Amino acid sequence: MTTGIKPVLSMREAVARYVPDGQELLIGGFAFSDPTALAHELIRQQRKRLFVMKTSGGVLVDQLVGAGCVERLLSCHVWNSVGPVAAHCFRRALEQRKPHPIQIEELSYGSFTMALFAGACDLPFMPTTPVQGTGHFTQRTFMPQKFGVVENPFGGGPVCVVPPLKPALGFFHVHRVDQYGNAQLFGPSGEFRYAMAACKKLIVIAEELVDTEVIRERPEATVAPGFMVEAVVIEPWAAHPTDAYGYYYRDLPHHALYGEMTKTEEGFQRYVDEWIVATGNHAGFIAKLGKERIAELQIRKEGW
Amino acid sequence: MIVSATRFEQMFLTGARCIRDGAVLFVGFHWPMLIARIARRLHAPNIVIVYENGIVEDRLTPILPTSPCDLVSAEQATTCAGSLETLFMWLAAGRVEMTLVEAAIVDRYGNINTTAVGPYLQPKVRLPGSGGGTELSSLGRDLLLVSASANQRSYPASVDYITSPGYLGGGVERERLGYKAGRGPKALVNPLGIFRFDDNGEMYAAELHAGVSADEVRATFGWPIKVQPGFKVLPEPTAHELTIIREELAHAKKRYYLMPEG
Repeated sequence: MTTGIKPVLSMREAVARYVPDGQELLIGGFAFSDPTALAHELIRQQRKRLFVMKTSGGVLVDQLVGAGCVERLLSCHVWNSVGPVAAHCFRRALEQRKPHPIQIEELSYGSFTMALFAGACDLPFMPTTPVQGTGHFTQRTFMPQKFGVVENPFGGGPVCVVPPLKPALGFFHVHRVDQYGNAQLFGPSGEFRYAMAACKKLIVIAEELVDTEVIRERPEATVAPGFMVEAVVIEPWAAHPTDAYGYYYRDLPHHALYGEMTKTEEGFQRYVDEWIVATGNHAGFIAKLGKERIAELQIRKEGW
Repeated sequence: MIVSATRFEQMFLTGARCIRDGAVLFVGFHWPMLIARIARRLHAPNIVIVYENGIVEDRLTPILPTSPCDLVSAEQATTCAGSLETLFMWLAAGRVEMTLVEAAIVDRYGNINTTAVGPYLQPKVRLPGSGGGTELSSLGRDLLLVSASANQRSYPASVDYITSPGYLGGGVERERLGYKAGRGPKALVNPLGIFRFDDNGEMYAAELHAGVSADEVRATFGWPIKVQPGFKVLPEPTAHELTIIREELAHAKKRYYLMPEG
């Protein structure tokens, strides 16, 4: 963590520099502000054996699992939220071990939030939702200490606690950033603030690079001050097909297309070939979507 | 001409009628969102809805969100906060008065499985997982479960995996394990009617939709479910209510919601 001007990288450079095979990384977003452009680049560069943490996995995690990038997954939910329809690759991996088996560990969203909060604050643990008796409490895989129970020191019975979660690396979608890494997000923020602060190294993927004077107009929207940010990627429409508050809507037809194509392994491979590999980069992906679709989805009137 | 409602349509009215105007609600993914929306259009325009991602939705949005994270629900919202606020400051702290959660597979004690059918490590059917569902069931006041299924597969005697805790093994198990007193499921609404929970935390049929028999209820559940003797028959939708329900179902279809078959 440092002050000063931060490197502005292309997604290709960011993945090449920060995400070797086997990397542990938390990916931000909660079925909105999901940085799908990052997942696409991880697939293009054929990353393997990743340990992916993501609260709401969605289509993003489904793609990474289908493309064989993931060895371990910590999440609270993985599904295609439009329909809703199944996250088919996620299901194939867990039901049929295709394309290869993955290890999964699960938390509830509240427990995930609290574990990140503990990590962000460097606390030894945080009380969380009572979850004794549930499946996530008893079923533990690669994080055998994901929950504990302590006696309330002030009286009043057992309390469920979670340990601090401190991901080695985090990638988060934000709306805008300046050259110092001051990152701003508008609209709801889920667990993003605590999740960003929990990561040992933080990279933000912004829709646009703006002057610091623009950041100063809305300081309350800064979710990560520059000193928390390691590097910056500028990638317009990075969260498509999920939504970016005030910038663009969720792309329902694309979610439906993805759901339909990924029903079979062959269909998923076709999606990867056509939409991820052949497009070359995210600008190519957006060009393939077409001007008409982009115009339908765009909320913000002025371009960025 | 009198057109009668399907049981699926009837479910939305029955669910909506459980909602009091002016209440603060926590609404989970899928059909609960449509139930709350229909309530808002019928008799409860002043409800305030909290979604897990931080959105407070206090009015009828022009467009139906496809999920709580579809940000059309945040357009002109009064508050956009985060999950620490929604799940802990508002839900756990008791500021939310009523909670609606979908219960795709639910057992005798109101435990919900949205994770895995069959062994966890080798599931026959893998489902999405918890999301905020665990919190809604663990922490939510006046918890209403919603299921659009009238299929026995959806109502086993006990679920393979408890994603969202009901009364666990029944009795006072929740309190013993440190759950807050007075929380836990209060009712389930499905195409057959309303089911409530007795003092031991066991689900029973309380009020049924027109034409639903006690035998049909017994055949739908995977345990010998009790049916309230002399149960009340729930009122059918009026023409106006049915119009609203059908408008919203048509709206949902346009927004890519998958409709149940038949």
